This record gives sequence, structure tokens and C-alpha cells, in this order.
Amino acid sequence: MREKALNTYTGRNALASLILCGPAVLLYGGFIVLPAILGFAYSLTNWTGWTARPQYIGLENFRDLWSDARFSEAIRFTLLETVLIVLFFTFVSMMLAVILDKLRIWKGPIRGLFFYPYILSILVNALLFQYMANYREGAVNTLLRAVGLNAACQDWMGAAEWAPYFIFMLVAWSGLGFFTTLYLANLQTIPTELYEAARIDGAGPFSVFRRIQFPMLLPTLTTTSVLALITGINLFPQIVVTTQGGPGFRTFTIGYYIYYLGVLNNRQGYAAAVSFVTFAALVIIAGIQVALLRRRQVSL
Amino acid sequence: MFLSKFSQYIAISLLTATFSGLLGCGAESDSDNVIRVTRNIGGREGFRKHFNTWKAVFERNNPGWSMELIDLGNVEGSEFYKSRIATGDLPEVLMTWELASFLSDSGHLIPLPKTYYEKFGIPIPAPYKGKWYTTQGGLQIQGVVINKKMWNDIGVTEPPATWDAYFDAFHKLKEKGYKPLVLGGREWSAAQPMFFALSVNMYDLVVDPDRPSWTKRKDLGEVSFATDPVARQALEKMIYMAENFVDKGALSDGYNEEQRDFYGGNGATWMMGCWMAGDIEPNKVEFDMEYWPVPSFTGRPPIYIKTSGMQSGWAMSTAASGPKQEKAMAVLETFYDPEVYQEYLNGECQFGEASKVPVTMPHYAWPAAQRLIENMRANLDKYGTTPGFHIALDDMPPPGIYTIMTRVMQEIMSGNHDVDKLLGILDSEWVNARKGT
Repeated sequence: MREKALNTYTGRNALASLILCGPAVLLYGGFIVLPAILGFAYSLTNWTGWTARPQYIGLENFRDLWSDARFSEAIRFTLLETVLIVLFFTFVSMMLAVILDKLRIWKGPIRGLFFYPYILSILVNALLFQYMANYREGAVNTLLRAVGLNAACQDWMGAAEWAPYFIFMLVAWSGLGFFTTLYLANLQTIPTELYEAARIDGAGPFSVFRRIQFPMLLPTLTTTSVLALITGINLFPQIVVTTQGGPGFRTFTIGYYIYYLGVLNNRQGYAAAVSFVTFAALVIIAGIQVALLRRRQVSL
Repeated sequence: MFLSKFSQYIAISLLTATFSGLLGCGAESDSDNVIRVTRNIGGREGFRKHFNTWKAVFERNNPGWSMELIDLGNVEGSEFYKSRIATGDLPEVLMTWELASFLSDSGHLIPLPKTYYEKFGIPIPAPYKGKWYTTQGGLQIQGVVINKKMWNDIGVTEPPATWDAYFDAFHKLKEKGYKPLVLGGREWSAAQPMFFALSVNMYDLVVDPDRPSWTKRKDLGEVSFATDPVARQALEKMIYMAENFVDKGALSDGYNEEQRDFYGGNGATWMMGCWMAGDIEPNKVEFDMEYWPVPSFTGRPPIYIKTSGMQSGWAMSTAASGPKQEKAMAVLETFYDPEVYQEYLNGECQFGEASKVPVTMPHYAWPAAQRLIENMRANLDKYGTTPGFHIALDDMPPPGIYTIMTRVMQEIMSGNHDVDKLLGILDSEWVNARKGT
């Protein structure tokens, strides 16, 4: 009797789970998993996007990738941005979180100020920076001219030597609040007894950071570094809005290159191949990164 | 028990909503008596006026039918068309511009009969794979618009014939304190000078059916930018121009800044298509301008570039089936109604080419604009035009060629003066863009 009731209960639960999870699974499958599988299938074709039936060409797109100089340049540029972004979000955010954690007055408003750019759309942030970088009327050059530094005025997003750093600044400004908040949340979980014990032992702020906060922040460091890595590799909307990969081809990221190939050059098949290779590389890099950081956590 | 039932009801509702949503994707209310027409209106009032007149005349002549606008914005519509092809929902009449070959190759266009062109006296365009698809339109030219007072101040009253003569004049304009050239590097307009230099000097000015064009030979691998001395010379001219006459910070500027500089009386010369005349009145420009032909550096006489030679305009899609096909054809015929055609020429600032339609050129109420149009007309008769940058639809450079030239100009403006590298970019990107066609 009890068994029957249990079976009925389990059966009902299973039905309810299926019905409740069904839509989400269906949407996830339809809009994430299926396109990913189709993306790989398209990478084996020379589909332009204009025809209903793509033509199968085997691994030709992947072979072309090996000798694609533009792809190599895009990887180089993406890696430069990614290194800057990962270092910044991993360490500068951590430092900022430690400083903000010590605040005793205006805690909320000051933290809010740092978080505020993150709640703006990436597109809004990018447009804002594009305006700031404009040579003639941008805020940066207007400020420089106002203080008599006309010679220091630059085409911040137009000139090849400045554009990479201005793009980095845009990403850094937009994401700083989010990454800092992750660290702040982690800092709240450190038991106060540890700080008290350190104070009794006469530890200074640097020792407290090195001996208590840093080791305790390592799980978050793992998360932030992976998230920062993904932010760097996926750098795309900022490029579309600001430089469109220019001047010339100088600020092509992998994401923008995929867009350039697939959307602007009608090479959907080849763009899918680039996407797939990037995805595979990202999975491997993130896997190594997580494994290394976890080992470090264990050893600490 | 109650909760379990309640959660099931909620779940079933969610599931139904999801399925309904999915089924509804891509579907839209589609009346039987509506012909959908695409147009790149964006913020251009002249284009809107043309469409509204077209719609009014069509609906007046075809009671019970209406013409619906699908505004593509400031783009040519390739993304819109690709998404509609994917959902099987192309509009019945499509603005094609550079896209006619893509649309016809993928089987989405219905060819037009030769009688359509003969009825209105439209010059019959070169066929694409033996067929014609588009309305055509008017004669669109590209040249150099100048601020007459500034050029008169340095004693130049006639169009210079060579690039070097232009550069000499630019130096004199600079000495007089004028900005000799308005040129921004941020977007498509950066490519204009290179487009001019390559079009006039590299492309065949006379179409010889027995001799393949440069484009065809390039696609066959017989010629390349890297080995073509004319292409090399063109890039050297661009580098000289960027070094001497393009201001620091120009890479922040785009078409709007160029327009503002020129119409604001701050620049002497603007290498721009004839459509610029359509913006004279909205910008309240009062000074006198002239429209000069494109110079050469190979001994060819100055000439205007004709950019309307290929098959372009509006085409009928395969969505126009049954009675809709007849009405879609009526939409294309209404395009040549004199009232509609006049608005088209005004909006696009083109010259009439349909000999059986009593409309020949744009007419503007703004005196400076009308004076410029008359100068254009007179110079057009005097200097003539190229047969087209694209001689025929199947003789087109890859559609991305303009973007490639823009990027090469950006490279030059950001200090890359290595001609071999720049020519290499033109070659490799041509091949890349061609793979998408």
C-alpha cells in the first residue's frame, strides 16, 4: 500500500517535474544546444546565408584557418585585451574590494558608484566611451584643451596606438563594479574571529591581507579569473559600437572577426568554423585555469 | 494535493504559452491585398516623400490594394533579407541595390520581361545570367563637389585634370588658410578617394565583350593589386594625400562630420556622390558649389563615375505569387509614373534615364541646390561618365570591396605607408569577400 502511494507520488512528481522543467529544457535545447550543434554542422559547409541548402565541404574551413593571417591577428589582439582584462579584474578588483570593505562611512553609496556602470547596457557604455574618445568634441580632449594641453590631445579610438588601451578602459570601467562585488561578497564570509586573532597577534593590514584575506578570496579569484577570461575572449559589442575593428584591421577581436566573416562577408560556414575552434580553445583554457587555481587553493 | 494540481496547471499554461510563442515566431498578419515593399528610408525625408508618393499613386490606381513600407533604415538590407529567407517570409517587392545577384542566385527573384524596360524607355541593363530583374532608376554619378569661392580665391575655375593638379591646388588652398579636403576615416566615406582613383584609372572605360574586365581577370588570378602598377600609383596618391591634406583626428570623423565641415563653409573640396545635393536645403547651404569630374593619373580625361550601371533598384520576389504577382508588377510599373519618378530623382538626386517618362532631372526649391544640379547637368554633358564601376551584375567586384577600401584608407590614415602591405590587404580581402558570393 505504502509502496503504491510512493509510486503514485513519484509518478506525479516526475510528471510535474517534466511539465515544469519542460519549457525551460525545450527553450534551452532549441535556442542554445541545437544552434551549437547546427553551428558545428555549418562549419563543414560553405554556406553564405543566402541559400536554403548549404554545400558540404568537409574540413576545408578548418584547413583554411591554419593559414588565415587575419585570424592570427585577431587572436593576438584578443589575447592582449584578455590579459589586460584578466589581470585588472582579478587583482585590481580584489584590491578595490579590500579597500571598500574597510569603509566605515558612506559604504553603500560609494560601493554603488563603482557598481553603477555595470547596470548600464554595454552598448550605452561603449557609446559613452566613443563620445569621450572623439578627437574633436570628446570629453577627454576637451578637458586637455581646457587645461592647455593641446599637444596631448589624441584620436583615442581612431589612432592604432591608443585604440587597444581605450577599449580596455571601456571594459574595465564597465565591469569593475561587478567583479569588486564578487570579492566583497566573499570578504563578508571571512569569520571576524580571524581578524580579531590577527589583531591580538599584532598583524598589520598587509599581513592580514596576505595571511587571511588573500587565501580566503582564492575561490572567488578562480571564479573572477574565469569570468574575466570569458569577458576578454568574447569582446564583441564594444568593438562593434566603437571601432568596428578599425582603424584598418587593428582592433579585430575573434568575436568581431566571426561577425565580419559571417555577417559582413557572407561566409557563414567559415565563421562557424572560427566559432567552433574558439569555443573548443576556450573550454580547454578555462579547464586548465580552473584546475591550476584549484590546486593552488588546496595547497594553501 | 492542491499545490500539486496548481503547479500542474501553471506548468501546462507555461508549456502552452511556450509552444504558442514558438509557433508564432516568424509569422505575421498577412493580408491578401497588401504588397510589401522594402526601402532604405532611415532618416531621409526625400526617400520617405518618394515612397509616400509611390504608395499613393499605386493605391489610387489599384483600388482595394495597399502598399506597405518595410523600412530598412540606413542599410541596404542584406541582414533583413537573409533572416526573411530563413523564415520563408520575403516581402513581395525588394530594394536590391548590390544584392540582386545574391537574391537571384538563391532563387528568390522573378525575372522581368524586356517589354517592361521598353515600355518606359529605360536603358536595358546588362543581363545577369541572361535575365533582368530590377527597375533600374536614374543616372547616379560620383564626382568632386567644391566650394566655388574658395577655389576661385586660388585662381582655379575649371576642374583640374590630374590628381597632381588637385594636390597643387590643395597646397594653395592650405596656404590661403582653407581646409583643402574634407575627409573622415571612421566609416564608408573614407573610401571615396581610393574608389575614385581605382575606378577611373583601372577599370575599362569601354566595354569590350571580347576582353574580360579587370574584375574578371582578377577573379581568374590573372591580375592582382600587388602587381598592377596603376593600383600601386593609386595607393601612393592616397598616402601623399593623407600625409599632406588630412588632419590629425580625421579617424574620429565620418560622413556627418564631412558634411558639417563642407556645408559649414569650412572645407573647400568633398569627394562625394551626387546624392549630397539632396542635403543642401536641409542644411540651409547658401554658398555656390560646383560638381567637378574625377581626375586621373594615367592621362585619361576627367570623368564622372557612373554607379547606377549595374542591375539595381526594386525587384519582384518569389513571394509575389498568384494575384500578388500582377500587383507586384503594378508596383514596379508605378515606379515610373511621372509624379513618382520625379520624387525618386529628387530624393536620390539622380538624372532621369527613362526616355518615355517626361521627367529628366531633380528639381529643388532651394536656389543653391538647384544651381548645383544645373552645374552637374552641364558638366555631365561635357565630361561624360564611366560605363559603371560595375559593368554588369556578373562583373561586379565583391560586395565588400567598399569596406575593404575603407579599411585600407584607415590603415593609411593611421600611418601604415607600406604600399606592398596595403596592396596585399586589397588582394587578400578581395579573395575573402569573393568566397562569400
